[in-house]
Parts: sequence; C-alpha cells; structure tokens
Amino acid sequence: MKYVKPTINRVDFNLASKYGSPLKTQRIKNDIDGVNVKELTETFGSPLFVFSQRQIEEKYNEFKEAFSSRYPEVEFWWSYKTNYLDAICKVFHNLGSKAEVVSEFEYQKARHLGIEGKDIIFNGPYKPKEALKVAVEEGAKIHIDHWYEINDLEEIAEELGREIPVTIRCNMDTGVYPAWSRFGFNIDNGEAYDAVKRIFEGKKLILTGLHSHIGTFMLSTEAYKNETIKLIKLKNKIEEDFGFNIEYIDVGGGFASKNRLKGIYQPPEVIVPTPDEYAEAITNAIYEYNKGKLPKLYLETGRALIDEAGYLLTTVFASKRLPDGKKSYIVDAGVNLLYTAFWYNFEIFLDKRYEGLNEPSQINGPLCMNIDIINENIMLPPLDRGTVMTIWPVGAYNVTQWMQFIRYRPAVVLIDKDSNPHLIREKEDLSDIIRREKLPDYLK
Amino acid sequence: MLINEMIIDENGVAFIPSLGISFQINETAKEIIELLKEGKTKEEIVKILSEKYERDWREVYIDVEDFFIKLKVYGLIQ
Repeated sequence: MKYVKPTINRVDFNLASKYGSPLKTQRIKNDIDGVNVKELTETFGSPLFVFSQRQIEEKYNEFKEAFSSRYPEVEFWWSYKTNYLDAICKVFHNLGSKAEVVSEFEYQKARHLGIEGKDIIFNGPYKPKEALKVAVEEGAKIHIDHWYEINDLEEIAEELGREIPVTIRCNMDTGVYPAWSRFGFNIDNGEAYDAVKRIFEGKKLILTGLHSHIGTFMLSTEAYKNETIKLIKLKNKIEEDFGFNIEYIDVGGGFASKNRLKGIYQPPEVIVPTPDEYAEAITNAIYEYNKGKLPKLYLETGRALIDEAGYLLTTVFASKRLPDGKKSYIVDAGVNLLYTAFWYNFEIFLDKRYEGLNEPSQINGPLCMNIDIINENIMLPPLDRGTVMTIWPVGAYNVTQWMQFIRYRPAVVLIDKDSNPHLIREKEDLSDIIRREKLPDYLK
Repeated sequence: MLINEMIIDENGVAFIPSLGISFQINETAKEIIELLKEGKTKEEIVKILSEKYERDWREVYIDVEDFFIKLKVYGLIQ
C-alpha cells in the first residue's frame, strides 16, 4: 500500500466556489521548453536560473511587430541593467537590438560584446568624466541628465576640438503617481527648454534627440501618450527656436510584464496593456502632434521583454509546522536571489501532482534571516524533500541585482530554440568571493 | 480530548459534534486518528505506520509530529 503524508484541514464552506476547491488545485510545470525541470537541477544544480530563448524571441517579435507596423523607423535598445548576462544581451543584439547602458561598467560590457559606440546609448545620472570622454570618442549617444553634465561635455568637446551630438533626458507630469522627476530636465516648468537654450548658447554641443523614461511597470498607456505629446511639442518648439534637427525621440521603457504586483487585486492578464496598446498610444501621439520630418522612435524596453522568459528552479530542502498551524517549506533559493520578490507575488509551480489536500503554507529561503520569505501565503499539498518548484516570472532585474550572501550564487542556463540547455553562467565558488580580499601580513 | 468524539465518513469528512465543525482528512490521517482513539502513543503510531508501509521510521516520525502539531492547533488533542 502506498504511503501518503497525513493531512487534516478545517472545512470552510465559504472557500467553495464555482471555480472549484482551493484545497485540491495544484499548479504544475514539469518542463521548460520541453526540458524537464528535475533533470535541469540534477545536471546544473539547484537553485538554477533558466532562460528560454524561444520566449525572448517571441516577446521581442511581438513588441517589434506592434511598433514597426505602426511607425516607419523604430529601434530597440536593450536595457542592460535589466539583465546583462552576456548570452542574454547577445540574444537581443542578434535580434537587432542595440545597447542602452547606465554606467561605465555596462558600457564596457557592451563594448566587450562587440557593440560599437554608435550603437550604445549612455544614460544615467552618474557618468564619471573619464567614462564620458571614452563614450564620446567612440561615438556613443550621450543622454544628458543634469546641468553639470552639460559643462563636462563642453569641456570634453573643447579637449577633442569638435562638437558633440547629444540628447537631453526630460521628465514631466504624465498623470501617474509617482512622477519620476529626479532624472533629466523638467519639461513642465521650462527647465528642459532652458537646458536646450543653454546647449545652443554654449556652441559646443549639438542637440539631436529627446529622451524620457517615465517610470517602471507602467500600467497606463495614457501616461505614454502624455509623455510622447510633451516630447513632440518640445521637439517642435526647439527645432523652430534654435534650428536643431531632432533625429530621434526616445520614450524609454517601463512597459509592464505579466508579473503580479503585490497589493493589486486583478491578475496581470486583465491590467497589463498589450504591446499593441502601448504602441498605439505612442505612435498616434507622434502622428497627431509632430511638425516637420518624423523623428526616429527609440525604445529602451527591458522588463517586458525578458521577465517572462526567466524561471528560477528551487528544491524543497525541509519543512516544518509553525505554531500557528501553517506549513513552512525551506527551499534552497532565497530572497537574495530574488530582488523582485519584494514587490511581486510570483507564480509558483510544482514539478508533479502531489497526493493530499492543500493547506496554508509559506515558502522560506535558506538564509538565516526572518525576512527570507518567497511566498507568505500559498496553498500547497504536502511536499516531499527534493520537490522542485518553478518560480516565475523572474527574468528581469534578478540576475543583475542578486546578492552574494551566505551561499554562492547559482548557475544560469539558457535553453535554445531546439530545446538544448546551455550553461551561461557557472555557479560561484569560494575563489570568486575571496579573489579580491587581502589579508594584512600582521593578521596572518 | 475532542479527537475521541470525531466521526469520520467514507469521503474523509470528519465531524466534531460538540463544536459543529468539520475537517477534511486523508487515509493516513484517518488511520492515525483511529490509533489515537485506541489510546496509542505517538511513538507506537510511528512504529505501526512505518512497519505497515515499510517506510523509514525517522521519516514517518516527522510526518506524525507535524500532524500532531496541527491537531493541537485545532484543539483536538492537548
């Protein structure tokens, strides 16, 4: 006779609904693009980040089609900070994306991947002058964030003995809260116009673009419409007043993925706009308000392109019954690997169907820290040691903002379009951690 | 102990008449509750189950311990 773990649950008739019983529903995912999750962890270790090239390409093509079918010249610039693993960047570059970086490190990484300066947008509030000069010399597109950067660029122009094409980053009220006002120059109070005037009067820089990035996980297409209208109106005015030829407007990124934000009741399928809806709002605004030649349209989409292509596999190490009756599962992936756990409720899948009734449970990571909670309230059947859970979507920001803490960071695998898994980042070991450390002689 | 008055039907629905509340239990839980009603101790129950199902008693012990904590949370045993 088969042994099944004992379960007892209070029957709450309020829980029953026409959708079935929450005591029996199990979400199961035993493969990613045809590769068994258990085999993946056996081959590459657990926990394990897994990316699907097929899903990256599908999503990229969906966005590309949405914009390119509505507008003549659209360019995608891969947001490195979202995920700068070499293999992931290379997938995007092979699809036609250029690079958008926000630090000298990211700039160097893009160059290391063979991306030419002219195909790199250098964004961000902190661009040390040396890094800025290298980027200018190599022809990168510089997006100016503040007044001091104008001064720095003018000095570099003088040192190089030539004018530098530049873009300014703008911020504005787009009707959503909170407004991102700390990057760039404000359009509403005239600061952005003044910055253009200052650039014009300096005679060392040539304005060729306007940029804005209005926020992250933006669920309102109206905000993008408002952003685009304000950028286009500014473009019209400065072309007329100063004679600059604005070659492109960059509406940034911030498009939402199908992740589930904490505190939001409706599922992402209901509230997240489609690529077509975002594209419609932005391109219509350009057509309606642009005067003169249509500018190129640049997009710096990150999260929406990669989040759903990323999975984290984690294995149940142990379980315990908490004094309040809730079951706690201890898994081998902690919140140090899941930066986005603080604002998303991830989908969590089991590797197979388990016997027994669901009961209120929580999933805790391996960190000896009370905050290490991956899911605080989830209905799960009794799970065995060794159960593999799939956490999704985790493709954006986690493998850039993960933190080495207590344990080594895990391996990362990319599954190609023929369902072959490739190791794209090895699991760390002690040498990675101590390589930069120095022990003074007197302590030896 | 309230567990002694628990009535269990063939669908695994258990009822405590004096409280008017019901529980959903599975086969193993049913076996443990019946053994408890016979006055068996936790250690005796672990031994009986591990021998019957040919499982490592140390594994079964964790499950029975876990189950006992839940019975305590529901106030069914002390």
